[in-house]
Amino acid sequence: MFAGRLVATVLGLLALNSAVAAQTKDTLVAALAAEGTVLDPARYSAGVDQYFIGQMFEQLVRFDPDLKPVNWLAESWKIEGTSDKPIIDVQIRKGVKFHNGDPLTSADFEFSYERLKDPKISRWTHLQANVEKFEIIDDHHFKLHFKAPDGDYIVGSLQLWAMPKKYYEKAGEDGFAKAPIGTGPWKFVSRSIKEDLKLEAFEDYWNKDARPKIKNLVLKIIPEDLTRVAAFKSGAVDWVDAVPLSAVEEIKKMPGVKTFTAMAPNNMYIDFPAYKSDSPFSKLKVRQAVAHAVDVDAIIKNVLFGQGERYTQVGRGSTGYDPTLKPYAYDMRKAKQLLTEAGYPNGFETPCYNLITPREPNVKEMGEAVFAYLGTVGIRCKVQGLEYSAWINLGRRGRSGPPEMDGVLMWMWGHGLPGDPATSWGGMLHSFVQGKGFGSYSYTNDEKADSMVEELKGTMDPEKRVGLIQKIARYKHENVLGGVPTYRPVVTLAWRDSIDFRAWPSPGSWRAFQEVSFKK
Amino acid sequence: MKAIFAKGLLNAAISILGASLIIFVISRLSGDPVSLMLPMEAPQSAIDALKQELGLDRPLWEQYFIFLWKALQGDFGQSYRWQMPALALVFERLPATIYLATAAFAFSLVLAIPLGVLSAVYRGSWIDQIGRIIAMLGQAVPSFWVGLILILVFAVGLQWLPAFGADGVQHVILPAIALGWYPVAAQTRIIRSGMLEVLDSDYIRMGRSVGTPERLLVWKYAFRNALLPLVTIMGVYFASMLSGAFVVETVFAWPGLGRTVVEAVFSRDYPVVQAGVLVTSILFVLSNFLVDLSYSIIDPRIRL
Repeated sequence: MFAGRLVATVLGLLALNSAVAAQTKDTLVAALAAEGTVLDPARYSAGVDQYFIGQMFEQLVRFDPDLKPVNWLAESWKIEGTSDKPIIDVQIRKGVKFHNGDPLTSADFEFSYERLKDPKISRWTHLQANVEKFEIIDDHHFKLHFKAPDGDYIVGSLQLWAMPKKYYEKAGEDGFAKAPIGTGPWKFVSRSIKEDLKLEAFEDYWNKDARPKIKNLVLKIIPEDLTRVAAFKSGAVDWVDAVPLSAVEEIKKMPGVKTFTAMAPNNMYIDFPAYKSDSPFSKLKVRQAVAHAVDVDAIIKNVLFGQGERYTQVGRGSTGYDPTLKPYAYDMRKAKQLLTEAGYPNGFETPCYNLITPREPNVKEMGEAVFAYLGTVGIRCKVQGLEYSAWINLGRRGRSGPPEMDGVLMWMWGHGLPGDPATSWGGMLHSFVQGKGFGSYSYTNDEKADSMVEELKGTMDPEKRVGLIQKIARYKHENVLGGVPTYRPVVTLAWRDSIDFRAWPSPGSWRAFQEVSFKK
Repeated sequence: MKAIFAKGLLNAAISILGASLIIFVISRLSGDPVSLMLPMEAPQSAIDALKQELGLDRPLWEQYFIFLWKALQGDFGQSYRWQMPALALVFERLPATIYLATAAFAFSLVLAIPLGVLSAVYRGSWIDQIGRIIAMLGQAVPSFWVGLILILVFAVGLQWLPAFGADGVQHVILPAIALGWYPVAAQTRIIRSGMLEVLDSDYIRMGRSVGTPERLLVWKYAFRNALLPLVTIMGVYFASMLSGAFVVETVFAWPGLGRTVVEAVFSRDYPVVQAGVLVTSILFVLSNFLVDLSYSIIDPRIRL
């Protein structure tokens, strides 16, 4: 009797506790599947870090929710100088403050540039390699002088982050790591690794039109899919990212819940050693057979629960997207015929390397399905599964150690949103050139493709880039070079309909809490 | 006693040194962290420079001795991913794991002791059968599954307890059950067989014949003696919970050491893996050492 009462009392208290927590509505609790590491834009290394950094720090240019480029901390910018030694001239916005009240000036961007090019600090020094010097004209005007044209600089939202020079010099490296400040809409409050990041809205935020209208934001880390969904269903969290593929339909049907599904910044494709003259894949007809052999739509529907989007070289919304370029149709008979014409009437056996990683959902199963389809036309796979680290290590060209992978490879290449293929193509389409940074993961060797990719890298004019990307995409598609594109993963976010949330694509792949409020 | 202590300490030191070598070799064999630390488009020169900076271009034996020498001074290096001292990260996450393991261990004893004693007292009855089923279920069902079912029932369905996190006492209940249920079967069996042996002994029969109340006989005289074998394995089980909490920590988003170390393994963050595994090994060895020591105190016939 006593035990029964005790249990009832304890559970009653617990329920009361939850109810009280639920009533406090100046705080938005969001659950994220992945956790970033450092909260420093010069020190971060992975895309997931931007989910967190992007709430506090800002760049010169960004993309709005409609994937249109907008000047952000840059009031305006233009390219001047000569075609072989261009200059990017930037006017920065006046009235922008850091979280400690210091005004944003050109010196803060110079400081950012210095940190980003320092190999002891940054993992992104190669992105600053073509910058010759940083010239401050005045507090709100600076110029970046290039020793060679660099298209990647344009792709990466002018690469630089606003970092507080004065504060950093006062707080030091450790002080900045413990209490980072930026110009973004959210101020750092506290962080507990593996647990959460607590933020507070920045009252003096410069952008009065697009800003959060909630006092506090707590980003909880819940890596396990079912637990994250359970936390959302139970009301413990208001907002959740990366809804598991199998739960998307259920969550979409939940009353009082809103969802948003959009493309993740990743491209999945099937590659093969086309560069090896003794490989069957050096023959165009064999590559075309691969492209016809796999029913990508069926795989997306059945393996990915419909949560993927097929693409042809460049995904929808990305720079240079060409809707007239259609994927190869699934046609088993044609694939077999192409193999026969290529001299393989009975098919052939090949190693097939599958990727095992939680980086994108159901990647392993996707690979297994692809290999099964290849088997139906006679390309018989000897499958070997590789964990992400081994995969990325073995895939890299030109290193010493175990031999390179010499069969069918399941690959992916990530880029920001909305995405520009230039960096990916420099790495996986351009042939491998030791020490030049081209073709680090390329299994292709085609002179025409090489020259076009190099031209794209040296083109900084955004409009010219679009035309060039479309030209490369068509050539790549027709010659099945740099692999066969399969799908772009999509990500689904969900939140209670008592919240107004507008997803901004970057930084943070739709997780930027730029515009969020509780409905009145 | 001093000799026992010294011998135990020497054994512990050898075990920890062995563990350090195994951790080092296995972590180095598992892959290269540098490719994971840099973006895919980074040139080979950046990879080589980072390897040099981290000392990963040196021969393995040299890396091991540097690691060992620094570890003796408490310096496990900077975490490659978190860019903070690896040992500081481990000590930051360790209390959460100790808290969870203690709660889980307490839960396992609270369940196993009455089950074991009642199963022995009512040997062959329905109580004995139910006790066995409860205990065996814990061992037969994987802890992640138990965790997910607990979340679905108590967090989503009844909404009595939180599904994740470590903000208060109520947060530890579900993970402690998920983690603590597994050893219940073994603990129950040990208590049950110990109790059966003691309940058949002459002094208990004597107690019964002189009219000592059954409750007193069972809990005061029989249970105390039946507890000795349990003490022996308590250290092992507690240490296993410390080192094996990873799955439960992941399911409940518990910010403990297990999750930190396993994620470090996947990102090849050697300093964190080395610091985390070595600290856990020390706790494992230490808890066994203390149990051995206490056992030899409880029963003077036993020597280390």
